[in-house]
Amino acid sequence: MANIFPRWSNWLPIKILVCVAVVAASIVSGMAYYFTPKYTRVGYQPTQPVEFDHSLHVNQLGMDCRYCHTHVEKSSHSNVPATQTCMNCHTQIKALSPKLEPIRQAWKNGQPVPWVRIHKAPDYVYFNHAAHVNRGVSCVACHGHVNRMQVVWHDQPQSMGWCLECHRAPENHLRPLDQVTNMDWEPPAGTSQRELGQKFVREWNVNPPVSCAGCHR
Amino acid sequence: MKRVLSHPAASAHGRTYWRSLGEYAQTPDFEDWLHREFPAGAAEWEQDPLSRRTFLRLMGASLALAGLGLGGCRRPEAYLVPFNQSPEWVVPGKTMSFATAQPRRRGAIPLLTTTFDGRPIKMEGNPLHPASQGKSDNHAQASILDLYDPARRRHLTLQGKKATAEQLDAEIQRIRTEAAASGGATLAILADETASPTRERLRAELVRQYPQATWAVYEPLAPGYDTEASTAAFGPGTQFRANLAEAAALLAVDCDFLGSEDGDLTDTRGFAAGRRIRKPGDRVSRLYVAEPRFSVTGSMADHRLRLRAGEVGAFVLEMARQVRSLRGSPELSAAITAAPDLGLPHEVDSAWIRECAADLVANAGKSLLLVGRRQPASVQALALAVNSALGSMGSTLLVQPAFALPAASLQALVARLQAGAVKSLIILGGDPVYNAPADLAFGNLLASVPTSLHLASLPNATSAKAKWFVPGTHYLESWGDALATDGSYLSIQPAIQPLWAGESQLEFLCRLTNRPKPVGPALIKETFAARINQSGLNLEQAWNNFVREGFLPAASSPTARSVNAAGVAALTAKLPEASEASAEFLEVAFVSSPAMDDGRYLNNGWLQEWPDPMSKLTWDNAILVSKKTAEALGLRNEIVKGILVADVARATLAGQSLEAPVMIAPGHVDFAVSLPLGYGQEELGPVAKGSGFNAYVLRRTDSDYLASGLTLKKTGKTRQLAVTQEHQMMEGRDLVREATVKEFNQNPGWVKKVGMDAHIPPNQNFYPAPTLDGDYQWAMVVDLSTCTGCNACVTACTAENNIPIVGKDQVMKGREMHWIRVDRYFTGEPEQPEAVAQPVACMQCENAPCETVCPVNATVHNEEGLNVMAYNRCIGTRYCANNCPYKVRRFNFFDYNQRSLEKLYWGPLAAKGTEETIKLQKNPNVTVRMRGVMEKCTFCVQRIEEAKITAKVRARDSANIRIPVGSLKTACQQACPADAIVFGDMKNEKEAVGQLRNLPQNYGLLEYLNVRPRLTYLGRVRNPNPAMPGARTSYLPSHGHGDETHHGQKKGVPH
Repeated sequence: MANIFPRWSNWLPIKILVCVAVVAASIVSGMAYYFTPKYTRVGYQPTQPVEFDHSLHVNQLGMDCRYCHTHVEKSSHSNVPATQTCMNCHTQIKALSPKLEPIRQAWKNGQPVPWVRIHKAPDYVYFNHAAHVNRGVSCVACHGHVNRMQVVWHDQPQSMGWCLECHRAPENHLRPLDQVTNMDWEPPAGTSQRELGQKFVREWNVNPPVSCAGCHR
Repeated sequence: MKRVLSHPAASAHGRTYWRSLGEYAQTPDFEDWLHREFPAGAAEWEQDPLSRRTFLRLMGASLALAGLGLGGCRRPEAYLVPFNQSPEWVVPGKTMSFATAQPRRRGAIPLLTTTFDGRPIKMEGNPLHPASQGKSDNHAQASILDLYDPARRRHLTLQGKKATAEQLDAEIQRIRTEAAASGGATLAILADETASPTRERLRAELVRQYPQATWAVYEPLAPGYDTEASTAAFGPGTQFRANLAEAAALLAVDCDFLGSEDGDLTDTRGFAAGRRIRKPGDRVSRLYVAEPRFSVTGSMADHRLRLRAGEVGAFVLEMARQVRSLRGSPELSAAITAAPDLGLPHEVDSAWIRECAADLVANAGKSLLLVGRRQPASVQALALAVNSALGSMGSTLLVQPAFALPAASLQALVARLQAGAVKSLIILGGDPVYNAPADLAFGNLLASVPTSLHLASLPNATSAKAKWFVPGTHYLESWGDALATDGSYLSIQPAIQPLWAGESQLEFLCRLTNRPKPVGPALIKETFAARINQSGLNLEQAWNNFVREGFLPAASSPTARSVNAAGVAALTAKLPEASEASAEFLEVAFVSSPAMDDGRYLNNGWLQEWPDPMSKLTWDNAILVSKKTAEALGLRNEIVKGILVADVARATLAGQSLEAPVMIAPGHVDFAVSLPLGYGQEELGPVAKGSGFNAYVLRRTDSDYLASGLTLKKTGKTRQLAVTQEHQMMEGRDLVREATVKEFNQNPGWVKKVGMDAHIPPNQNFYPAPTLDGDYQWAMVVDLSTCTGCNACVTACTAENNIPIVGKDQVMKGREMHWIRVDRYFTGEPEQPEAVAQPVACMQCENAPCETVCPVNATVHNEEGLNVMAYNRCIGTRYCANNCPYKVRRFNFFDYNQRSLEKLYWGPLAAKGTEETIKLQKNPNVTVRMRGVMEKCTFCVQRIEEAKITAKVRARDSANIRIPVGSLKTACQQACPADAIVFGDMKNEKEAVGQLRNLPQNYGLLEYLNVRPRLTYLGRVRNPNPAMPGARTSYLPSHGHGDETHHGQKKGVPH
């Protein structure tokens, strides 16, 4: 009796196994990369051209975020301060510090300091700072406790799922408008963030978009 | 239960609408075309040097190679580079608007320019200016692309070679010395018309320094016959303009005041105001049009007469006689008496003229006769006399001071050049080598001048012939001023430093008059100070106001002026004889192209791809002839695979000839041809290359608009033309609904009785309907009674939404990307049709068929009724486009933003990337789409979201987050000069859109499909005069309501 299966079929189970193994391996490694904070770059902490210390300026000197990030309440984009903003103080304070040499150089020759970008929304995402900070979302919600960072790192995943978590339940993150830039604010004793948040949602008519057009145009 | 809905047969209707001759004739090719989403080949792989297999192999190899460098997966380090010193007012991420104006030959258009990060990205009309009221037109919208045109030359050239500024300084010094020695006799200046008072001031200074110098002004499409007529009728230094808001009855004779007639936006707005009808009993104006070719104005006419341009004189004379018989006036009598006896124009029904005249007289004081401004002065003068008799002076016709001093003509300059008297010729703007009358041979003359210099923002044929080329500035790069058509004084404020070294005409004239280079607006401020001298205003305050608001109102309002009978009679004595014409002896009119004007926009891709409002032709011009003429000459237009293949003919006039494709234009007058000017400039730039033919070569001094004796000979060659009219057909499904005023008054809800709408059984939805519980419910209504079909919305949308151009080749395949298109339907016989325009964008269906077929949820509904697109999700299956009943979705077959249009098929073998300057124009708030992505109109969702964010930022910790009514406009709505597009929240009773949707004449397209469109239309109401010969009394379907058997609708077939 002739063989029912042709000769090549002897190799078929092995071929299938190899294929399955390759597919499984790529799924696992893909998930290991894309589904973890590694992909969203949480913890990314590049070396900046100037060792600017946020904790010193905010916690010790008590400066408000908006002294440097001036347009955060007006614009979609929260600006990095102009060299001039640094020089407002540093012409007098630490005027000769070697750490500030790049700033002084920039001021002298007109070439601004190239700060290394940490947070980057993709091109197809239209995030708006003003819409958030004017409606009770604190800086800390997205950027972490920058006031405690000597060197700023990427604190939150800032993935689409993470955005939607808050857009679907804004009460977990809203706070009084005068506390938006206070990074260490806690709900007053006797209330919870949730209670307070729900009150703001009601009183301010907070209704964040959850459909595509809210962020993708 | 499945209900099968088949569309009603097109012939169920007393009246058929057709969009092309192919459709009218029902050719098999056309039928085949009709049933495709895209034309044949649009979705296929062809014309490619690579086979599909080779391509896949190459792609596989490149993918493997890409895998070797896995480092590419890491995100690169990016930098944030702040300002060193923050400029005042600049908020990164926010736009700023500046008032400015676009100079035009007949007065500037007041505009606002929006800048982002210091780069102008969009033009809008100036909302404060009474002539603009925030509206603009296609040229104003597209002019921003000219600023970023990569073909602009970046340096000085001397005889084609790069030169230095010192060399030019020395040359100008030499010119000045030479001119001073001769009292200026050796110096001549030839300028375009910019209506700039400061330029006039510098000109006066130049003439003072060099009294013998020649200052000539040349505009190929503004021969100044209207000024001649105005001077005869009202005295020197006057000009007239129409005031259509007051008009109840209008006759436009060869005058496309809604289109290419250089009118101003007030004309369209005024006309639209007279046509807007909301409820029974509203008064509607009536428009009569007599014209040779179908124009935008003709498409709005209640009565349209085909009339050769050469017979306009005889026509107006007969009209004048009829008006005199009903309502005489001494100046009209004098004008008629002085005129030669011309008789009636051929084939024109005298009853048409008689009844039209009777209607004009019946509306005396509110009627107007308009004659094209390129018609001879004698005809225009006679028209002024008629208007005077009709009592139009001061109501529908206004007289105001002329904005320019008289200047020498091109012919006078040419005489001096021929005499060899001119040693230095300076040409400011324009392109006389290309567009001067051919008999002047201006190019040769220019070459014979020892020193010639051309200043222009884009180098053209004149620059190539001139010894020197000086790069000029775009109007957004330099300070300037201009007068608007209403006489108001406009500031032209720059929005950006010159991209490359360039200087404005004013700066150049300063050099010539030995003034120091002006600093900022210093020159304009001097002019301004002189203008407000007597008004007692504080200069600084008034100046700041002027720059901020962009204009200073006209000093004097137009006054009623009486017509000088003797002056008019002297002109009407020269009325031209009505021309003869036959198939062998054709009449020719050199008409301006609605897209290219006189040719100045030919290197502008947006305008190249902008379909001509009537012919729907892109990327080309063609000889327009009537069907009868084409048949007599054996010239054919065929549709092959959806592409219009036109016979190429040789046109010969007075010994000169050209070869060009012939296009059969419905509604064109017989035995006459229209030659659109402005095309055929190979050297202008890559976009202009290969587009159209140059009709200027046939144009002579004595025939600058009209000539007789043209012959057309078939050459046997053909040319493919890219027309968009047969793309995205919707068959005869009652898309456009019309009625007369009388029918509307009797039954304002007539639209509901048209087509299948009266017979729709209650519809049920197969899919769950989206929850529409948003704070806003967006909707748009287009009023077909006022939409002129001018296509300004198309350009505005292109600019706002980063819509790429795809090139002629791709347009022929039906791949144009415009999110809004204006469908133009003809109705009636091809010889004498009527036309209707209908803008079609995404309908934002509530039950959107596209959404249910998207496998990746890239297109979904939001709670505000928008059918939103997430481009980054789209994988390009094109199922949505296949399922769209309106065919409004557009697919990126190629990376139009990244590859050059000639090399689209090269794929990865072509260089990637685009010109830096073109990138500067892109709107940062709209994604630039890539290859393989579907896109469509989103009701300008970026503007909606921006408005919502602005409201929330303002609300802070209060609950009032509503967008203020009227503060949000879509790009098409904002541009529409007729205010025909209304957009807003239909849930809000205060918004117009909700009120309009509730009007009885509101209807949606294909409502029986139960897709519930959010874009609806107000049926078009026409106002025919029943006394006119051949007047239609009804626009309603001929069959009665309830006659279901004609509809081909099968009801409730159980399965």
